Amino acid sequence: MSKCTWESESNHGRIHQSLEWLPQQLFHEVIRKRLLIDGDGAGDDRRINVLMKSFTKWCHSNFSPEEGFSQYQRMLTTLAQCEFSMGKTLLVYDMNLKEMENYEAIYADIERSITSAHEKIAECKKEIQRAKRIRKNRQEYDALARVIKQHPDRHETLKQLEALDKELQQLSHIKENVEDKLELRKKQFHVLLTTIQELQQTLENDEKMESDDTQESSMENGD
Amino acid sequence: MGPVELLHMSVFSQSFSPCGRFLAAGNNYGEIALFSLSAALSPDASEGSQKPILNFTAHDGPVFSLLSTDTHLLSAGNGEISAWSWAELIKKVSQLFSKCMTSLEIPEINAMIINPKDNSLIVGGGDNNIHIMDMETGIFKSVLKGHTDYIHCLCFKEREEEILSGGEDGAVRIWGHTEIPLSRFQTCSGMVGQECARPQFGKWISCLATDSDWMLCGGGPSLSLWHLRSMSPTSVFPLPGCQREAVFHQDLIMSVGEGPYVSHCLHGGTVKAQIPCTPSSLNTLALNLKNTEHRVMTVGGSSHQIDVFTNFSYRAFSLSF
Repeated sequence: MSKCTWESESNHGRIHQSLEWLPQQLFHEVIRKRLLIDGDGAGDDRRINVLMKSFTKWCHSNFSPEEGFSQYQRMLTTLAQCEFSMGKTLLVYDMNLKEMENYEAIYADIERSITSAHEKIAECKKEIQRAKRIRKNRQEYDALARVIKQHPDRHETLKQLEALDKELQQLSHIKENVEDKLELRKKQFHVLLTTIQELQQTLENDEKMESDDTQESSMENGD
Repeated sequence: MGPVELLHMSVFSQSFSPCGRFLAAGNNYGEIALFSLSAALSPDASEGSQKPILNFTAHDGPVFSLLSTDTHLLSAGNGEISAWSWAELIKKVSQLFSKCMTSLEIPEINAMIINPKDNSLIVGGGDNNIHIMDMETGIFKSVLKGHTDYIHCLCFKEREEEILSGGEDGAVRIWGHTEIPLSRFQTCSGMVGQECARPQFGKWISCLATDSDWMLCGGGPSLSLWHLRSMSPTSVFPLPGCQREAVFHQDLIMSVGEGPYVSHCLHGGTVKAQIPCTPSSLNTLALNLKNTEHRVMTVGGSSHQIDVFTNFSYRAFSLSF
């Protein structure tokens, strides 16, 4: 058995009257349902009951034509009010259904954007890894470039090497020339010296021969 | 653990589990704490989820280096390397899988990396040498000698299978493989150039990172980016303190060191941002890239708190020992 948490005096009274013959559980169930639908007792349920009562009264009682007619008008008004209320409820029901659809659509949309955001995050992570690799490569390149820059330029060094080569060639050329001249002078001096020696030799020979001649002639004279 | 011990705690190393849901951190008391990232990052995280789910003593001395393989957590401190099974750790059982005492007396192991191609563990430490151990058998295959002072950090170039090592002597050495695996590895060593040198701090190199053609190195000298093919420094970063760890991440370079902040820098040499954190100076930075849900950066240093960054631009919360 469930407890009714609302207490509505007028409704309680009415429902109690019509249902006191029901067993306890069903009684409470019905009360709960009735209270849920129309707990305050000021609305449609009461109107329908009033309409039913007045209709039966109107059918069974003997009214004068004017009273009957006014009663009839009053019933029509009540009926119209009931219909109006019903129409309103139907509209509200439709509105709720549409709202539900709207919310479902928004929900699906949000789900989609969540998944796409996840994908974007994964993409960006990959991008970051790539960018880090690129940055590392650039840094290494820069570091090596700095070291290389410290060394002198290759063209300059080549040019210096060429100039040095040329100088070396010139100097060796000069050296060759000087050596040749030295050889030549040596040879010339050698020739000069040998000629002097030979001349000296010849002169000595001549002197010797002359002294021999005079000796021979003095020996001949002495005979 | 009393308040004084908490005050003096430093976190030296971190490592994420293979599934990416747990963080292991090692401190200077020799303890390793396991934190559950999924609990700490979940929407209904509380104070309790920022505490470790498991805390055990792994070594006598500080845990300088932690490394995760697909199944195990390797921890190294003063001369010994221990392996813990991740499956066991997640079940909160801190049973030692196998302890390998190195036959050589290495005073401390500062760095460990893995060569995935031939499944070997490369260890660098206080005896100035790099030791290569085969993970299947546990035998030390070879030794790379050449540094004149202890080694701070190691790094591995996947493509060419080369090892880069930086040490207290200020040299960064590149060790390349020849065809015969056990032959003497020949090196080409690059001393850190004049532009980066900061004599007031010293010449030690404490952080190395590589990104195939590029290398970051820093420490006493300023953090600088080098192009490996030409062996020339391309950018020097104007960071005031000594940097202890640096990583490449996408297009940024993130580095931590002296100073209570994480620096974000660009390859060109500019410091883009410095994000403040709780420890007053930082020792270690780790990025959890294995798991896309728990993609965080964690930093630890001279504090018992480990800062967690979910968005790398600001500190989200802190885990504490």
